[in-house]
Amino acid sequence: MINAVLVMNTQGKPRLTKFYKQVPVEKQQEIIRAIYAVLSSRGENYCNFADASNISGSDNKLVYKHFATLYFIFVVDGAESELAILDLIQVFVETLDRIFKNVCELDIVYNFNKVHTVLDEIVMGGQVVETNSADVMKAVQDIFKLERAV
Amino acid sequence: MALSGMRGLSVFISDVRNCQNKEQERLRVDKELANIRTKFKHEKGLTPYEKKKYVWKMLYIYMLGYDVDFGHMETVALISAPKYAEKQVGNVGGKEFSESLAPDVQKLLISSSCRPLVRKKAALCLLRLYRKNADVVNVEGWSDRMAQLLDERDIGVLTAVMSLLVSLVANNPDGYWNCVSKCVKIIERLTRSQDIPQEYTYYGIPSPWLQVKTMRVLQYFPSIEDPNIRKSLFEVLQRILMGTDVVKNVNKNNASHAVLFEALSLVMHLDAEKDMMSQCVALLGKFIAVREPNIRYLGLENMTRMLLVADVQESIKRHQAQIITSLKDPDISIRRRSLDLLYGMCDVTNAKDIVEELLQYLTTADFAIREELALKAAILAEKFAPDLSWYVDVILQLIEKAGDFVSDDIWYRVVQFVTNNEDLQAYAAATARDYLDKPAVHETMVKVAGYLLGEYSHLLARRPGCSPREIFPIIHDKFPNVATSTKALLLSAYIKILMHSQPGDPELQKQVLSVFKKYETYLDAEVQQRAIEYFVLSQKGPSMVDIMAEMPKFPERQSALLKKAEDTDGDAAELSATKLRLQQQTSNAVVVVNQHSANGTSHPAPLSSVSSGTRNIDRGFLEQSQVGPQHNDVPVKAAGMVQSLTADLLGDLLAPLAIEAAPASVAATPTTAILPLEEPPVGPADPLALAVLDGNSSSVQPVGSTSDWFNALCKKDSGVLYEDPFIQIGIKGEWRGPQGRVVIFLGNKHTVALTSVRAIVLPPSHLRMQLPPVPELIPPRAQVQCPLDVLSLHASREVPVLDFSYNNSAVTVGSKLRLPVVMSKFLQPAPISSADFVAIWRSLAGPPNKLQEVVRGVNPMLISEMTELFNMFHICVSPGLDPNPNNIVAATTFFSESGATLCLVRVETDPADRTQLRLTVASTDASTTFELKEYIKEQLVDISSITANPATLGFTGPAAALAGLL
Repeated sequence: MINAVLVMNTQGKPRLTKFYKQVPVEKQQEIIRAIYAVLSSRGENYCNFADASNISGSDNKLVYKHFATLYFIFVVDGAESELAILDLIQVFVETLDRIFKNVCELDIVYNFNKVHTVLDEIVMGGQVVETNSADVMKAVQDIFKLERAV
Repeated sequence: MALSGMRGLSVFISDVRNCQNKEQERLRVDKELANIRTKFKHEKGLTPYEKKKYVWKMLYIYMLGYDVDFGHMETVALISAPKYAEKQVGNVGGKEFSESLAPDVQKLLISSSCRPLVRKKAALCLLRLYRKNADVVNVEGWSDRMAQLLDERDIGVLTAVMSLLVSLVANNPDGYWNCVSKCVKIIERLTRSQDIPQEYTYYGIPSPWLQVKTMRVLQYFPSIEDPNIRKSLFEVLQRILMGTDVVKNVNKNNASHAVLFEALSLVMHLDAEKDMMSQCVALLGKFIAVREPNIRYLGLENMTRMLLVADVQESIKRHQAQIITSLKDPDISIRRRSLDLLYGMCDVTNAKDIVEELLQYLTTADFAIREELALKAAILAEKFAPDLSWYVDVILQLIEKAGDFVSDDIWYRVVQFVTNNEDLQAYAAATARDYLDKPAVHETMVKVAGYLLGEYSHLLARRPGCSPREIFPIIHDKFPNVATSTKALLLSAYIKILMHSQPGDPELQKQVLSVFKKYETYLDAEVQQRAIEYFVLSQKGPSMVDIMAEMPKFPERQSALLKKAEDTDGDAAELSATKLRLQQQTSNAVVVVNQHSANGTSHPAPLSSVSSGTRNIDRGFLEQSQVGPQHNDVPVKAAGMVQSLTADLLGDLLAPLAIEAAPASVAATPTTAILPLEEPPVGPADPLALAVLDGNSSSVQPVGSTSDWFNALCKKDSGVLYEDPFIQIGIKGEWRGPQGRVVIFLGNKHTVALTSVRAIVLPPSHLRMQLPPVPELIPPRAQVQCPLDVLSLHASREVPVLDFSYNNSAVTVGSKLRLPVVMSKFLQPAPISSADFVAIWRSLAGPPNKLQEVVRGVNPMLISEMTELFNMFHICVSPGLDPNPNNIVAATTFFSESGATLCLVRVETDPADRTQLRLTVASTDASTTFELKEYIKEQLVDISSITANPATLGFTGPAAALAGLL
């Protein structure tokens, strides 16, 4: 399953954190720091996977993608296919890009609630709900409409 | 840039971002939290919009890493608000709740009238409920429903259903056989792109996600026997294997290879025909050579997995050169995979190449990987050495290149090999000598070279530059800069070199003796003692040659390295290369592994007489540490040595240099310290009765509680054991592995001498200890010290008893005191990584090695207090290792004469009721597990008496206290 989804910038500042298992807040911060330490030491043309067994539990892996100033990171266990998770990151980012029209880091900072909503439509409880960007868009738009209505 | 639509939230985020430093940020956050708190508390009529805004603010604060400890109710209230309630339901838990909810969710999932959006969330909701409580899904009724669900056309719903199916099948593959053919149909449909809506094709590939998930499900079924299903599945897989190419677009590449790699896994799982397998290897061989790093990584990983499948080893070997290239990849993720693969594919034919590559890589490898690399190289060298001298070469190179990363086990193993193979001895000694000539020599190299030259340099005596007189200064050159333990080892080497030089060399003797003389006053007791004893021994001339004879052969035993690899290899993946190696029985290991039966004697037999005069049968040991100053005779003490069960090499080599006891010397000096373990004259008395004073001494009472003193000493190493108006008994203990030295201080507080002083230690059966006689008289205001050596034989909670009495010129006072030689003294904290912990924990399944008990009547304490208590008993708590903050997991190593036993402990507390908890203890030794569990239990239940006495806790050492009295 997917244990956590993180978005952090290249300075290590978290922009979105979502843990799908109960993790105390200090441990969360520790994990974020440890992940940043791993990612910041990795070069541009390295592979998108890194070992996370010392960070968040045995057989855990980081699958990440670097976009401009942001890292999108999925912490997954051995039951997930690394490349499929990479696809998922791509779907997530493409959806954000459509919603915010050329998404940038500031969009994510000020609209982190919307980012959460998008993520909730893609991943739920550590499992993938939807991989179709159009469907995700539609669900998210519906929710925003509902919110405005209240 | 679009704003969130919540002005208050945006303003708050801006404020936080504008903070100059962490301090300001904290102030701003605290202010906001206070604001939210008051709002929630006082204003009843918050609008849903306001509530929502505040919850988002709290979530933001939470993300920044601050603890938000309120507002949960408000969040829950929001969930139950009329808005899109169904999707949030999955977040709520609880067993009864899940049972009552499950039927409704199942109905939603099956219902064809529901929107797909709801149904896919229902599928995941059911999965969530199932994880909380597996009973919500009844296999018999549900497996047919699952099969029906797999006929679903909507890809989104199908994806969610597949996630559910993965979990269900993983837990119970037999229940869902009927789903296999449906899964195969789904893959067929996807790979043929039949009926796939445009929006579900991702870079031209029909829902790669669903393809991967479906093939994953199939891997949870043990095998697929039905020939028709098998045939159509293989057709699909064949198509995937053939039809995938590396293209320019990265995303398309990822997606198509995600499917391809999953197909490869499935092929391996299904145990396909040989042709298909070699096709897979060929494909993987192509992948590990491409530029795209992700594919290279997965290619290596899957090749390692492939090694599990028979018959492909040879075809994988063809790619060895390419794999070695990956070992030099800049990306550590790839280097790790390649190291695993090389380790896994190594056998006798390619060991030389692979190990030499590893050695070469070692000098440039980053620190994160060096220790693993060194260990792996050592293991491969040992298992697949084409000849023994090569093995010695490899290990010495290893020490030279990465001495810091070569654990002691590795060089112990070399010594063992060399000792057991006579042909090797001269070669090893000569090679070691050459290494000592190099400018910078690692300390480990000094140790191994010192040892080898001490034992075998006489075999080289005729070679140029290798006479004893030349060897000695080469070694001694290193002496000033090495640690004391190495110094001690070198002293032993010197005496051996001296004794082996035939004919005697007066010049060498002069030099060596001057070294011994110099270190007679050395600060470290071990070095000092060796120096003194060797000095005396060397004076005895040639008659002592036998004592300094070469070490006898070691009993053949399992490699400690392999054991270590087993221990450290905590990777939960069953496919780990190390384990794979260990499973292979067909290796031509250099040493025949000869495991002793598990019931073998693990206690040293008390040696009542050294009867056998034959060398190499009785293995005598020079146990200097137990030779008291009262023995002026030759300090050779023979002790029986039975091959220990755990065959811990470390134990052998750490014992002060083992020297064969010459039968002659033993016979000639019957009064030497051949100390058979005396049966205690009286068995340890009932511990409850211990604190009671003898009847005739009722006039003199201790000034405190003996049990408080005892309890305090259980947690620290020095302090008061007993005190009354006349005498103070203090204790100071030093513990190292299974051995300990306890000094008992008897201090006369009075102005009159104490007479008829008597003190006897009554050891329980699991300890070997001997208290030298104490002086009969303690002068006024004086103190005597009695050293007591302790050796732990096995785990037990019993404690020894000190029976003492004295006469204060008026009355005889006596008491029996428990000595705080408790189990925790033989524990050493074992910091452990979570991966290791989990792996070992899993491997120790069930009684008698893993014992669990619900302990009631626990003295209530906070988790932090319990952690402190555990640490005090040298049981190392690993905070955060257990995700539940109410649990403690800890690890410790218990030492006994037969070796070290790693023990794992887990305590699960109930925050609602702190008087009970569940305790689980696991180790590889059933009796240790039991004793440790009981010991911990006693500490948890009996805590009041330990914390209740702060007075003695502040006390620092009886020596100081008693000195103050003088």
